[in-house]
Amino acid sequence: MLVCKVKVKETHCRVTDLLPNAQYELWVMATNTTGISPASEKALYMTVPSPPAIKERGCSSCPEAALIRWDSGNNNPVDSYTVEITEMDTHGAQCGAAEAIVAVPSCQCLIQLQQDRRYMVTVRAVNIGGPSEKSHPLGVSTTGTLFHLLEDTAHPCLSISEDGFTMFYGDEELPLKLTSMCYRCVAVLGDLLPVRGQHYWEVAVDDYTEFRVGVAYEDTNRNAYLGATNTSWCMRHILTPTRHKYEFLHDGWSPDLRITVNPMRIGVALDYDGGTLSFYNVELEQHLYTFHCCFQSYVHPCFALDNPGGLTVHNGVEAPGYTRN
Amino acid sequence: MHALFDHLNKMALTQVSSNKCAGGYQKVYEHESVELQCKMKFAVYLPPKAETDKCPVFYWLSGLTCTEQNFITKAGAQQAAADNGIIIVAPDTSPRGCGIEGEDESWDFGTGAGFYVDATEEPWKNNYRMYSYVTEELPKLINSNFAADPDRMSISGHSMGGHGALVCTLRNPGRYKTVSAFAPICNPIGCPWGQKAFAGYLGADKSTWEAYDATVLAASYDGPKLDILIDQGGDDQFLSSSQLLPDHLIAACSAKKIPVVFRRQPGYDHSYFFIYSFMSDHIKHHAKYLNA
Repeated sequence: MLVCKVKVKETHCRVTDLLPNAQYELWVMATNTTGISPASEKALYMTVPSPPAIKERGCSSCPEAALIRWDSGNNNPVDSYTVEITEMDTHGAQCGAAEAIVAVPSCQCLIQLQQDRRYMVTVRAVNIGGPSEKSHPLGVSTTGTLFHLLEDTAHPCLSISEDGFTMFYGDEELPLKLTSMCYRCVAVLGDLLPVRGQHYWEVAVDDYTEFRVGVAYEDTNRNAYLGATNTSWCMRHILTPTRHKYEFLHDGWSPDLRITVNPMRIGVALDYDGGTLSFYNVELEQHLYTFHCCFQSYVHPCFALDNPGGLTVHNGVEAPGYTRN
Repeated sequence: MHALFDHLNKMALTQVSSNKCAGGYQKVYEHESVELQCKMKFAVYLPPKAETDKCPVFYWLSGLTCTEQNFITKAGAQQAAADNGIIIVAPDTSPRGCGIEGEDESWDFGTGAGFYVDATEEPWKNNYRMYSYVTEELPKLINSNFAADPDRMSISGHSMGGHGALVCTLRNPGRYKTVSAFAPICNPIGCPWGQKAFAGYLGADKSTWEAYDATVLAASYDGPKLDILIDQGGDDQFLSSSQLLPDHLIAACSAKKIPVVFRRQPGYDHSYFFIYSFMSDHIKHHAKYLNA
C-alpha cells in the first residue's frame, strides 16, 4: 500500500513519521524530462516497536523473584521482549551493571532476584528492526511478598480499591438475575507469585466483620465457602450473640480453639517447603494456629467476607522474626 | 549470712542420677530445702548447649500424685529442649517425709499435693511452702549451680502444676518470659480440689485463697503483656467433673485482654499421653520467648 511519495533533488532522503512496528518498502525512481525510470530495487525497513507499558497492578514480587506483566504497546505482534533489571541502592541510585533477559516470548516474565534488595525494571519490545525505547520503569522491592487483589476473580458484591489492596462488601442488594449467576462465596483471590519458599502478608480487619482469610488452589470451587473443601485453608471470624468465635477451617473441619484478644491485624505466613500455613495476631506477636499441609500446587491468598464490611491487605513487609522457625 | 546460706546450698546439692538423653543429660538432684525443711529432689535436663553457654530455664510443675520422675520419663520433652538449647527443671510436687499427721491420707491433699501455695495453717505451715520454693529457693539454686541464664526463665505445668504455673506468672509480672499449661486447674476456689486444699493449707477465710487463684488474679492483672498457651483434653474426666473450669479463666482473660490461645483437643484425657502429644508445641512456644 503506497503510503507516501516524496520528490527530492538530492540522492538521499530522510523519511520521517513512520509508524512503529511496521514494515516499509522503499524504492527510488529517477525522473527527467523524458519520464520516470523503472523502480529501483526495493529496500525493506522494519521500524522498531513502541515501548511496552508495565502493568503495575499486574506485577507481584516475593523475596527471591518478581513477576512482571506488561501491555505490548503495539497493535501488531512483535518478535519478543527484553526485560532489563538494574539493582538500586538505598538512595535510589544505580549500583551494578544492568542485566537483561532477552527473547521473552509473551507479555510476562518471572525474574529471579535476591532478597532484601531494590531493583528497577524496564521492558523493551523487539522486532526484526531492533529494540524499542525502554518502557517506563517499575520499582521492585524484594523485601517481603507483594501482590494485588485480582479484580476479575472478585465476587460482584465486592468492590476493590484503586490500589488493589482493600476490598469492601457493600450493603446493596444484587439484582436477582445476578444473584443466581454468582458464586456463593463473596471472595476475591490475590495474585501470589508461583514461587516456592516462604511468603508473608498481613490483613487488617475489624471486630464487626465476619471474614475468612487464607489460601486456596487456583481451581478451588468458587461455590463452596472458603475452608469448606480440601482445596482451601482459612481463618474464620464469626460473630455470635455472646462472643467472637474463631475457626481455622480446612475441608470443613476446624480445631476447637478459644482466643481471648480479637486480632485486628492478622499475619499470614505460607511456607511451601515446610508445608505450613500459620496465622498470627500481629499486634501481640501471638501465634494463633498453624495448618500442616502438603501443597500439591501453588496457592492464591484468598479473602472472603460473610457479612458487609471490609478488609485491607498489607504486604511487601518482611516476615517478623517471631513468624520464622 | 546470705553468702554462707548460698555456700551451704551449693554444698548440699547431691546428684541422684544422670542419664544421657537427646545429646544432653537428664539429671536428678537432692538437697536440703530451707523453705520446705526437708530433703527435696528435683530433675534437671541439661541440653548439649549448656556445655558451652548459659541457657534459659523452663520450669515444669507437675500435678497431683506426681514426683520429679513423671515428667522426665513420660513427657518426651528432652529432644525439643535439646533442639532449642533450653534447661528444664522439674521439682517434686510437695515436701516429703515430714511426718505430719494426715499428710498421706489423701492423694489430693498433703503429700504429692502441695498446690504451690505457702500454707498458713497448722500443721502445714512449716513445711508446705511450695510457692516460695518454686519462685525463690529453686531458681537461686539452679542459677548458682548450673549454666542457667538468670534473666531468661519461663514456666509451665499440668493440672495442679498448671495452676501453679499460672499463679506464679500472674503474681510475678515480668519474671517469666512466658507461661503455658496442660489441663490446668484454672479456678481452684470454685472446684472441689481447690476448696479442699485451700481450706486445709490457708484456713477458712476465703479471701486468703484469692491470692492463689489464676482466674481471680487474671481479673486484676496489671503487668507486661502475656501470651498464654493452654491445651485441654476434650475427654478429660476432670474437665467434665468441673475440677478444671477453663471457661472461667478464659472469660477473665477476655475481659482483661490477656492474650490466651486455648486449644481443646478432642479424644485426649488427663494423662501424660496427652502431655506428650503436645509438649513440642509448648516447648516451641517457650523457645520463641526464651531465645528471643
